[in-house]
Amino acid sequence: MTLADRLLELAHTDEHAVLFTVIEGPGRGDKLLVLLDRDEVVGDGPDGLVELAPEIRRNHVLAHGDARVYAEVYGPPPRLVVVGAVDTAEALCAAARAIGWHTTCVDARAAFATRERIPSAHELVVAWPEDAFQQVPLDRDTAVVTLAHDDRFDVPTLAAALRSDAFYVGAIGSRRTQDRRRERLLAEGFTDDDLSRIHGPTGLDIGAETPPEQALSILTEALAVRAGRPGTPLRTAGHRIHVES
Amino acid sequence: MKEIVDNVEQWRAKGERVAIATVVATRKSAPRPVGAKLAISESGEMCGSVSGGCVENDVVIHAQEVLAGGEPRLLSYGISDDEALGVGLPCGGEIDVFVERLD
Repeated sequence: MTLADRLLELAHTDEHAVLFTVIEGPGRGDKLLVLLDRDEVVGDGPDGLVELAPEIRRNHVLAHGDARVYAEVYGPPPRLVVVGAVDTAEALCAAARAIGWHTTCVDARAAFATRERIPSAHELVVAWPEDAFQQVPLDRDTAVVTLAHDDRFDVPTLAAALRSDAFYVGAIGSRRTQDRRRERLLAEGFTDDDLSRIHGPTGLDIGAETPPEQALSILTEALAVRAGRPGTPLRTAGHRIHVES
Repeated sequence: MKEIVDNVEQWRAKGERVAIATVVATRKSAPRPVGAKLAISESGEMCGSVSGGCVENDVVIHAQEVLAGGEPRLLSYGISDDEALGVGLPCGGEIDVFVERLD
């Protein structure tokens, strides 16, 4: 199988991989495809790149000896895990799907977590959070948002999210609710530092009222956090609109 | 790659060779992010994009040379000059595009 065949096959999956291409210097055009989920390497690129692959998170050009090498990252889309199959959960799944994310909705109440109520979730998990997170891995590409308004869901969800590498942890609820949850999580042994990862109340301050508006508010905050951006108006931003690479 | 894979597979199934142009770097503002791709078939079909249509014509000329046996190449585009038909990016950004044969 040629590298091209392998690459096209990869493009139909969500597997993690890095494709290196020498774009300047000796061996221009040489390629190396590192398939991270299966310890497989295809191609004829220069030595010393395979070891770099696991740490590469974004498409960019890197200097490698006398050559410049373009590294391109392949992997699953960001994943949204929403706990609490409420109206805003459907709106949030719909909004996240529209930007290409994979969506999962978790609720232990079978009457809530139905296809009819949450048609936009790729995956519906009828389970308590503790059990759900046995099946739904929370990794660095995952945003976790709890919308349940119920400590029985919210506290274990936040605990699991804080123990994971999730890039965004959001929790709906008033400041009083946030304070109460905070006490419970501190009692479970989490530190102030851990709790600073929680975006609660979740979302950007855009005056969102309806579920679709709240979904935009939450999703844009998650996007900004993932990109390391402040979520403020571009008009007031001192930096470039697009990330330099 | 996901956005072009279906077309590329169809062209290859017809026995056509395919060139791929990829945005490998951007400076200042740029219409498409790093990783954006334009695929070009031997018979001149295209899918995907590397800019908002500003530099595609020039990229296709290079892609045809690469398909005809030319070496893979790195192209740089900056702000357009005063000539109305000059190749460039009206947004004032700069992009680097790598063009190669897919094989």
